[in-house]
Amino acid sequence: MPSLFFCILLLGLRVTESQASGLAPPQQVRLDADKETQTLSVTWEDGHASTFDVEILRTELMEMVLNETVGVTEDQSTGKHQWNWTSPVPLECTSLSVKVRSRDGQDVSEWSSQQILPGLDLPDNTDSQMYPEGKTVPVGSNMTFCCIVEEGQQFGSLWYKDTLVKENMLSRRTYATTMTNQGPSNPSGTNVVCSNEKKMIIAGAVVFVGYPPLPSDLVCETHDLTSVDCQWSKGRDTYLFGMTRQTYYTLNGRNCPKARNSNMRCGLEQWDGNWTLVARNLLGEFRLTDAAELGHRVRPVAPVNLTTPEVYSWNASVGWLWKDKGFERLSLICQVQRTSHLNSSTQTYTGYGLNTVVLKDLQPDEKYSVKVRCGSQKNFWKWGEWSLPLSFQTKMDRSVAPDIWLWMDSDNLGRVLWKPLTKSESHGQISGYEVILWSPEENSQQTLTLPQSVYSLPINVTDLGSKVTVTVTARNPAGVSLPANVVIPRYLPDAEDTAISKVAFNGSGFPLSWVAHANASCGYVVDWYNTSCTQDCNVEWTRVAADNTNTMVQSGNFFAGVRYTFSLYACSSESTVLLERWHGYMQELVPSRTVLRLSPNQEGADVQLTWDQIPLEHQRGFILGYTVYLTNASHLTLLANITDPQLTNHTVRNLVLGSYKFTVKAYTAAGEDGGATVSISLEPYTYWLIMEILVALGTMTCLLIVITIACYRKRKWVKKAFYPEIPEPKLPGDWGITQGTLDVKPSPHSMVHIVEDSVWDSSKEALVTVPEEDEEGTGDEAADTDEPASLRYYNQVVEEGSSSQRRPHASDSSASSTGSMDSGHTDVTYTGIQTSACSLAPMAHFQPQPDASQCVGGGGYRPQMQSASCPEEPQTGPEEHLQPPVGSFGGYQPQCSWKQDSPEADGDGLDQTCLGSPTSVTSSQFLLPYDTSEEGKEHPSSASTWFHNLLTGKP
Amino acid sequence: MADQEHIEIDTLLDMPAPGRSRTGRAAALARLLHQDCTYLLELYRERESLLSDHTPAGDRIVSLSLSSPDLSSDEQVQLLHSALRKCLGLLECLILREEEEMGELEGEYETVRKGVRDRLGHLLHSTKVLLETEEDVTPDHQCNEEVDGVVGTFGAKMWTYRVLLELIHWANSASQTLHVLHSEREGREDI
Repeated sequence: MPSLFFCILLLGLRVTESQASGLAPPQQVRLDADKETQTLSVTWEDGHASTFDVEILRTELMEMVLNETVGVTEDQSTGKHQWNWTSPVPLECTSLSVKVRSRDGQDVSEWSSQQILPGLDLPDNTDSQMYPEGKTVPVGSNMTFCCIVEEGQQFGSLWYKDTLVKENMLSRRTYATTMTNQGPSNPSGTNVVCSNEKKMIIAGAVVFVGYPPLPSDLVCETHDLTSVDCQWSKGRDTYLFGMTRQTYYTLNGRNCPKARNSNMRCGLEQWDGNWTLVARNLLGEFRLTDAAELGHRVRPVAPVNLTTPEVYSWNASVGWLWKDKGFERLSLICQVQRTSHLNSSTQTYTGYGLNTVVLKDLQPDEKYSVKVRCGSQKNFWKWGEWSLPLSFQTKMDRSVAPDIWLWMDSDNLGRVLWKPLTKSESHGQISGYEVILWSPEENSQQTLTLPQSVYSLPINVTDLGSKVTVTVTARNPAGVSLPANVVIPRYLPDAEDTAISKVAFNGSGFPLSWVAHANASCGYVVDWYNTSCTQDCNVEWTRVAADNTNTMVQSGNFFAGVRYTFSLYACSSESTVLLERWHGYMQELVPSRTVLRLSPNQEGADVQLTWDQIPLEHQRGFILGYTVYLTNASHLTLLANITDPQLTNHTVRNLVLGSYKFTVKAYTAAGEDGGATVSISLEPYTYWLIMEILVALGTMTCLLIVITIACYRKRKWVKKAFYPEIPEPKLPGDWGITQGTLDVKPSPHSMVHIVEDSVWDSSKEALVTVPEEDEEGTGDEAADTDEPASLRYYNQVVEEGSSSQRRPHASDSSASSTGSMDSGHTDVTYTGIQTSACSLAPMAHFQPQPDASQCVGGGGYRPQMQSASCPEEPQTGPEEHLQPPVGSFGGYQPQCSWKQDSPEADGDGLDQTCLGSPTSVTSSQFLLPYDTSEEGKEHPSSASTWFHNLLTGKP
Repeated sequence: MADQEHIEIDTLLDMPAPGRSRTGRAAALARLLHQDCTYLLELYRERESLLSDHTPAGDRIVSLSLSSPDLSSDEQVQLLHSALRKCLGLLECLILREEEEMGELEGEYETVRKGVRDRLGHLLHSTKVLLETEEDVTPDHQCNEEVDGVVGTFGAKMWTYRVLLELIHWANSASQTLHVLHSEREGREDI
């Protein structure tokens, strides 16, 4: 099979050679391949030209790879021409055929004999392979990979990492793919996998894509004044790992095997002054240089064997050694860092061969840890390494004087307070305190010894006079502290003598300022406490220097909604004087409860609301005032805003009767509280109502009296107006009946003529006898007595049917008399005035308790134009109300209510309106109600008599 | 988590225990080893961007057969012990080659790889105890590229792939064989 291919190739070459010209073709063409670099070297002889055409084909598929004219000069020493070509495809992938011809302008020689560079896809090489394998290339480079499939297998796919890539067939068994701009590989490289149709991996290659080294910042120094230690930065990651591909370093030609990973340093035994660092990997190398004098690059090693030769309460000395003697002859600058539980500080010392320093300003009874590092004082380069730390503890000393204060609950009782001494103040473990109270006036002294856990002492200075000084000392193993003195201040509760101001919290504390006080030789003291606290209060204080007139009161014990009282005292050896007081809140809140005892009080149409103030501990802010609301369901209507917090009442005015609900809320700068609500129902004001009734009654009484008096005085006018003289009737001459006055002496109680009524028979009983009035108003004694007056009847009534029933006739002037002739009625005719309803109405008011019968009777006498009825009257039914019956007036027939029956009745004048009356009436008597009872018989008599007498002027 | 398991297993192995418990513990150890090997192969595929359906070409590396019906359980354990020794040798060779190729890395793959090596060593000790003979527990493999047929970087990777598959295979075989042995010994004890 391979021999057949060669025969075909040779036949092809023969055909091309036939095109040669006059130039001699190159002879002895030879191919040399550098597969690692994929470079093909072509050499030939006897060209006698400087320009050649080169043609490269893939032998198996006869695909042109290169056809190029190149200039190649002859190597004079060998007489050969050589031309190099770098193949983009690995030379192992497939066989290449190369031929060359000479060119001189347009003249070309015949092609040389074709030379073949055999690939690894030849049939006698049956295994699967992939090229290039294990190559290291720079990031961004392009590469072509080829897979040679094993004889007898089918190509499947090509994968670059986990990406399926497109292949290109180079020969029967060779498939290639080109990857461009490759990214960095992982430590194990980038895999290119070739699989068969069964996805079995048949070949593969690994490519390592990375960068050449790029170190920086080479610096060389000495730690021992002899050797050199160079350090540099690794720089960009090369992405190349393993013994083959990692970066190797050399310093001045010496390997740096310890330069690995991030530890980029290399040392030399001697100081050279110039150093060259070479970093190298498969992709290239990089050089760095540095140069310096030894004295300029001293970075001492750490001092060793630190000791503390001397340790006191307030200072100590620290010493150390140098491992290298050279430092003992070098001017050094050293830092000593000391660390205690309080803080850490660093101090600098200098000296020639420095190996001892003294630490000052230490704290007694304090543990310290110190460490040292040094550098060259001259041409300082860098600080050396810190030494290992050394710990020691200073000795104890007497403590500072305690910070004491006095808190007086009353004039004679109080507490001595002092703050616990801190670690930095106690200078040793405090074993106890001693408190001395002494009075220069009384020349007395009290001494108390207290354990270290006690920080206050109740005192009673009743027997110690007015000026008492308290002294407190603290004791520790080193001795007794200096005394702390304070003169007991005068007890001054709030609201006494001293004005109290408000102070606001500014976020960090309460800023207080004051006017300087002359007698503050030992400064000022500001103390504070919870204002609402009454017993065993937590009192805090701070001291202010005498030359200060302001301070910021800060504490971790301030809480929102709590009022604090701040008191400023001027302190001197002679006295402690309260100067000023403030109240303040760290944060004002709304009151935690509502006003107390809210109550309403009605005052007529007004309601006064009163309440008590909120207790101080519940105010939680400065009460700025109160708001009064009218509550309607859930809606609040503001009635008043009381801006005076001391005012605890409010009057809501001009309310109408009804129920009201009022809400009162106290408010601070933070807002209103929840509000206290109270309800009230406004009742009519009883006394006023009674008064109104009484006034009305009185007024009416007066009015009646006046009317009565007026009527009495004007009785004649009244009589004339309401009771006029009635002229004597004149009878016509043709009056058929004998004329003459029929004087009848009726029985005392039967002075009534019965009026017959066809509708109501009982009307006979409804008529009341009325004594005849004396028209003249004079004379007749009988009229003034109780004797029944004689009735004067006029027999001018047309008799109808019954002769026993006589009807009084109307006067002849009354035309109605004729009209009444046809009437079937028989009426009694009275003479006299008809009592008007209005004139009787006032009387009714004075009738005490008219009973039902009187109602009938009182109505028994009815105004003529009224159709009143009485409910109790049995005859009066609903129907009768609708159309008053004729007899509904209790037998009294109203004169003017008669309806005209005939057209003739349509006359004129008052008289004419009565034309329909069946009988003309002339009466001089008042109509009085009829009463069947005995009392009724008596009563109308007396009442009518009284009124009659009133009008007639009779007593 | 892997470290914790190792501690527990070490503790178990150090404890004196009756025979039937040893087989149980060895079977459990083999099951854990199988899980670790499977996980190690997963990490390897992930690192090398190999698809799970891509399989390496080549024959089995450790060619011992436990499936012969004539072999007793003890003989199977004997063969298993030999195979595990070869596996340990292969694994140590694998570690050596990878460290040469990439340096000493400290990723999860390297951690699990170390765990597998330790656990495989414990399993060898266990099977030796079960065999009650003076079996060798040292790795049985000469780390030689020519012997292993490793050509090129990719060839080394495929060899690694095959070794990891071999580890999975023998860990699984150990788990099954020891489980059978454990069942047999349990049965005898019960009788």
